[in-house]
Amino acid sequence: MLKNLIEKHLLEVQKPSRYIGGEVGSVIKDKSKIDVRFAFCFPDTYDIGMSHLGMKILYSLTNERENYWCERCFAPGEDFEKIMRENGIPLYALESLDPVSEFDFIGFTMQYELSYTNVLNMLDLAGIPILAKERSQELRQIVVAGGPCVCNPEPLADFFDIFILGEGEEVNLELMDLYAELKKSGASKDDFLRKAARIEGVYVPKFYNFVYKSDRTIDHVEAAEGAPDIIQKRIIRDLDKVYYPDNFVVPFTEIVQDRVSVEVLRGCIRGCRFCQAGFIYRPFREKHTDTICKEAKCLCENTGYDEVSLASLSTSDHSEIDPMLTKLLDYTVKERINLSLPSLRVDNFSESLLEKIKKVRKSGLTFAAEGGTQRLRDVINKNVSEEEIMNTCKIAFEGGYSSVKLYFMMGLPTETDEDIVGIAELAERIIDLYYSIENRPKGRGVQISISCATFVPKPFTPFQFEPQDTREMIEHKQKLLLDSVKTKKIKVSYHNPDVSLLEVILAKGDRRLCKAVYTAWKKGCKFDSWEEHFHFDKWLEAFKECGIDTSFYANRRFDYDEVLPWDHLDYLVSKEFLIRENKTAHQSKTTPNCRLRCSGCGVNKKVGRECFC
Amino acid sequence: MLRVRATFKKTGRAKYISHLDLNRCMLRTFRRSGLPIWYTEGFNPHPYYSFALALSLGFESECEILDFNITDDNMSMEEIRDRLNAVMPEGMGIISVAEQVQKITAIAKAEYSFSLSADSPDELLSEVEALIAAPEILIDKKTKKGIKTVDIKPDMEIISCTRSGNSVDIVMRLPAGTLTNYNPTLFCDALKKNGSGMFEAERFVRRAILCEDNSIFR
Repeated sequence: MLKNLIEKHLLEVQKPSRYIGGEVGSVIKDKSKIDVRFAFCFPDTYDIGMSHLGMKILYSLTNERENYWCERCFAPGEDFEKIMRENGIPLYALESLDPVSEFDFIGFTMQYELSYTNVLNMLDLAGIPILAKERSQELRQIVVAGGPCVCNPEPLADFFDIFILGEGEEVNLELMDLYAELKKSGASKDDFLRKAARIEGVYVPKFYNFVYKSDRTIDHVEAAEGAPDIIQKRIIRDLDKVYYPDNFVVPFTEIVQDRVSVEVLRGCIRGCRFCQAGFIYRPFREKHTDTICKEAKCLCENTGYDEVSLASLSTSDHSEIDPMLTKLLDYTVKERINLSLPSLRVDNFSESLLEKIKKVRKSGLTFAAEGGTQRLRDVINKNVSEEEIMNTCKIAFEGGYSSVKLYFMMGLPTETDEDIVGIAELAERIIDLYYSIENRPKGRGVQISISCATFVPKPFTPFQFEPQDTREMIEHKQKLLLDSVKTKKIKVSYHNPDVSLLEVILAKGDRRLCKAVYTAWKKGCKFDSWEEHFHFDKWLEAFKECGIDTSFYANRRFDYDEVLPWDHLDYLVSKEFLIRENKTAHQSKTTPNCRLRCSGCGVNKKVGRECFC
Repeated sequence: MLRVRATFKKTGRAKYISHLDLNRCMLRTFRRSGLPIWYTEGFNPHPYYSFALALSLGFESECEILDFNITDDNMSMEEIRDRLNAVMPEGMGIISVAEQVQKITAIAKAEYSFSLSADSPDELLSEVEALIAAPEILIDKKTKKGIKTVDIKPDMEIISCTRSGNSVDIVMRLPAGTLTNYNPTLFCDALKKNGSGMFEAERFVRRAILCEDNSIFR
């Protein structure tokens, strides 16, 4: 039993309750009665992974099936990893405490590029060969991945047997059904993969061969073994009928999102041109108010949480937002439950609702303005006007707030020095607004925090063709912004541009990058998204050793007619639309949101119905 | 309003729940149970409940004390117990529920058992016996004001000290409550400092919460 070995060392590590399971809501089954075991792995620590809604959904969904057992697994913290390696404790799942290597499926959710090395490290800790081709040919240990990053999974292609594109609620079970059937007949892993490749949404990377041109761009992609040329992502058609858990695993230790979250809608109508989520999660689909309220109540009762959060890309775009919040608040206020509303646009709210929200909102005021000038906000199709920003700040200041946080991106397409100076000027106008309000908070100064991220162009967005600014350009812009800020009432913080550079390389990279990811991990890279673990020098060495020219991926404009590493994957949004949107961006023209007018992204044609009727 | 004192256990995997996490855990347990627990009044009402003593991370216990108020005077103690037990995490459970009798300040000491295992248990036993017999046992105790050297000997009561197999099993009573709290690991630290240090301390259990006259706190 691994349990004794784990317990022997558990008190030597930080937050030990993360490593031993036994939480309320975790699902325990008799493994002798199980046909397929699925280890759902999150390539980051427990505190972060346990907050992930997709895992909660797929965990409960799989465990609804009596003969399937889904368990959870996370990356151990540095202290526990050391103990695991020293004492021969392999990576294990939290329900059975059995080694992950004994599982039929080892599934990773790829939420961000900087978690790639953690996948390799976890496979290594599990004692599973990291390269797919070095793993057993028997039908077991199928290593799969899903999540937003698999819309361009090529930098991970060597490590996975299967990528699952799109929403997993149906396709995961289809894969497990196929596995269970073939396992009984004694089939090999290749038999399984060949049949799996015929399931919609399933991409088996080893059946695809990339042919490159002499200029290093892709010439074409060949599919073998009867696998389809184009793999289309899966979607759930009716959100009101799709499975939603009635219980969550309730952790002992505090996690990042320590609350009930209820999904209110999928997709986004906004079409901000930098936002990958806004395109890859299309079409826009809503849950009805009654479904949302029922799910919130059920989850609160079963978990004991006293906080509910509404999950979506933009909650206020729900067509029934007003009655939905009214109904939800009736319940939450009575039960003394906090309702938190991230992703909220305050512009389209009624006054009475605003009053209600004020009662439950305690968090600070944040604004994703993204661009410093209206021209640049038009380029990126962030349809927020300065008037709206000022109006909301006015309401907030009158309501007792005295600090505002503003998010911006730096290095956006067509950006000039004027746009950077515009960031500081916008902040100054908010300060002026504060002091012009008579009933502002008494005796307090105003504080504006500006947080600047470096723009990362992502696949399946209109900006997928765009280069990222070079380090020199970013440094110039950072200095310019600092010089433009002349008051201590404005605080400026940046993201590390090296992190953004790595992010774009992994986001837009092709299969030739697998070697570099492997080499970087070998050099000790892991937890790249954690500042204290980020070693860019090791990544640069890895790229150099593998003959990777980082500027080819990061700082080069990809041609419209170039074969992109993700062109054989179909996320329902057409490339023609993305090109059209890219051209419109360069004319500083906006595109209205989907509800106002269909912009012809192509999703409705593929799905076979209009998004809004 | 019922003033309730529950005795609960924290055993098995639940011993890895820290005191801070136990607070959150109990709040959620109350909410899952749907019991009409009394909320504090004032600007930010929150459910009122309090633990008599904090239990160190890694310690097991079957005598932890939790106080709270129930607004329904007609509810039976059995119902309160059963509804909480139905929604408790693994390893935790309510053993008994009764009206609060004594004040929290009546708590004076706690009884602990633990095992010291070693490759040469005979030597260890004589080291332990020597330390118990010493005129004073000085340890460095971390306090809010910094590190303080204290003598735990006068307040330490050894109930038993026996060898079984490869280990030395110790039961001792130490001051606990609102004034002074000594943790049995302090004794182990002193043993490490004064002897060969070749042992592992394990299986810490709090066995009883006691008043000055050695009666069980109720």
